[in-house]
Amino acid sequence: MVGLSEGEKHFIRGGIAQDIRTDGRKRLQFRALSVETGVIPQANGSARVRLGGTEVIASVKAELGKPSILHPDKGKVNIFVDCSPTAEPTFEGRGSEELSAELSVALQRCLLGGKSGAGAAIDLSSLIVVDGKVCWDLYIDGLVISSDGNLLDALAAAIKVALSDTGIPKVTVSVSTASDEPEVDVSDEEFLQFDTSSVPVIITLTKVGRQYIVDATSEEESQMSSAVSVSVNRHGHVCGLTKRGGAGLDPTVIFDMISVAKHVSQQFITLLDSEIAAAQAEE
Amino acid sequence: MSDQQGEDQTLERPNRLRYGRFFLLLRCPRDGVVAMRDLQLSLNQTQRVRLEAALHELQALAPAAASAAAVTVADTIPVNQEDNILKGHGTLDRDGEVVATLCGVVERVNKLVYVRTLRARYKPEVGDIIVGRVIEIAPKRWRLEINFGQDAVLMLSSMNLPDGIQRRRTAVDELNMRTIFEENDVVCAEVRGFQHDGSLHLQARSQKYGKLERGQLLTVPPYLVKRRKQHFHHLEQYDVDLILGCNGFIWVGEHVVVSDSEKTSKMEDQKPRIELETFTPLETRKHICRLANAIRVLSALGFTLTVELIIETAEASASSNIEINDMLGAEFYVQTAEREAKRRADLLKKGGAR
Repeated sequence: MVGLSEGEKHFIRGGIAQDIRTDGRKRLQFRALSVETGVIPQANGSARVRLGGTEVIASVKAELGKPSILHPDKGKVNIFVDCSPTAEPTFEGRGSEELSAELSVALQRCLLGGKSGAGAAIDLSSLIVVDGKVCWDLYIDGLVISSDGNLLDALAAAIKVALSDTGIPKVTVSVSTASDEPEVDVSDEEFLQFDTSSVPVIITLTKVGRQYIVDATSEEESQMSSAVSVSVNRHGHVCGLTKRGGAGLDPTVIFDMISVAKHVSQQFITLLDSEIAAAQAEE
Repeated sequence: MSDQQGEDQTLERPNRLRYGRFFLLLRCPRDGVVAMRDLQLSLNQTQRVRLEAALHELQALAPAAASAAAVTVADTIPVNQEDNILKGHGTLDRDGEVVATLCGVVERVNKLVYVRTLRARYKPEVGDIIVGRVIEIAPKRWRLEINFGQDAVLMLSSMNLPDGIQRRRTAVDELNMRTIFEENDVVCAEVRGFQHDGSLHLQARSQKYGKLERGQLLTVPPYLVKRRKQHFHHLEQYDVDLILGCNGFIWVGEHVVVSDSEKTSKMEDQKPRIELETFTPLETRKHICRLANAIRVLSALGFTLTVELIIETAEASASSNIEINDMLGAEFYVQTAEREAKRRADLLKKGGAR
């Protein structure tokens, strides 16, 4: 919880109106981004992303499972987000449940595509091992370690980095005639990388007063009237859209926000790509 | 406890510098302070080398006595056994040796030996000027969060009312307390004293104390703010008020005219209402943000915050055409560390020449 006096609130609003925020940023500037990969050894892929005071970890765990009867040619992806009580005292106990659920749903919408799995960020048919019998289940877990606003963007970035870090073990399938079940041998050495170029990033535009800003701190978020999160992929296509906050928005404003988000996202993806490359070179 | 690793870590594993935690131990020459900070910067190769060089220079500049007084957990504190010393806070007797249980500086007062921790909460002293935030309004008093172990109390009777007249506080005044300070307001006051039960009382008996508006509050570790004659600074060249609270709360805001006379204080009452629609002038705001970022950089590097150093850092950034936001980037951190190392070296040379 941020408690701000009237004077400070006024100062923040004024800063956003005058295009110079409390830390000197312009309205469409991000805070310093830093990326680390391979932070969880047990996971198939993991990443830590820091965006100013916000810090999140994402991990990808792959397990062999059975594809659903409806889509025997596709694997499954699950996304969960948890908020650590170290981030904020109000997250203790069940305090973070609502926020966690909100973030999970927003990420699922942006990354998982439709019920059939079409349009998902990851090609689900690449997760299949044996049609109708064996497939990979991906468990994507996000953890908010410290919270200073703009959690959704940071989580989406962390998931993108974690997926690009993920190696799925190579499997060899031997079909024995004796039993119906195919035998799967999981390799310890060979890994397959994902194609993450189509994984979108999320850009949240927070409306404060008449203007909107990217990468709001928690102080700035306390002053928002509404926020629109647009997930955009590398080609500049919108993959998902969520809106928070009670205040209504004029449709023209939303269109305006989408085009701004599209523009900002291209810079952000380029930045993220170079950070991923640097982080992987570091390992 | 990752915070308690020493400087050896940085030397042995320079790769940790790029991301992740970066441990550094600074020993300042004047006050013998050991500062352990974890900076999180993405440095490139040259920046890393430069920062290491600057930090080594800073360490080399520190007098031996100051370095010897710095302890981390499980360090042995050298004592003369015949003195039959008193073991104070942060010390432990282990196999006849006095061992530190905290990170900080060893202080000796007569027979007493204790460890003064650096990254602890604020320890108030009578007369300190502090900045706090109102968290509760109780009968006849406000409760303030000041980064102390418990909340500080500001009694209605220990502050001047806005009308400026000295008089008894009536029940009406008590009902109108919210017109003076509301919840979440940032307030500047002075430490009046401790009550018998250990609670802290504040007072605000002058027009210079009171509500702070139109600016931003920064929080730094309290040990970075040293007690000085002046804690209120009106930086005329910027039209900015800078208040360095002893509790590590620092206010950077637009300058407000302070006067004790009744007439002007009434005028001031009306001014905010008219100005509510207009924002801080852009130039002033730029200065506020620049100073605030200078404080952020200095406190992350663990340098003692003085008004001179803050202005110097802000000026340096302005004169080398660094954008306000870029002050929080790695390059400016390195530059600031280098400048501080040079400044202390010069200071030491002058001191030696005298």
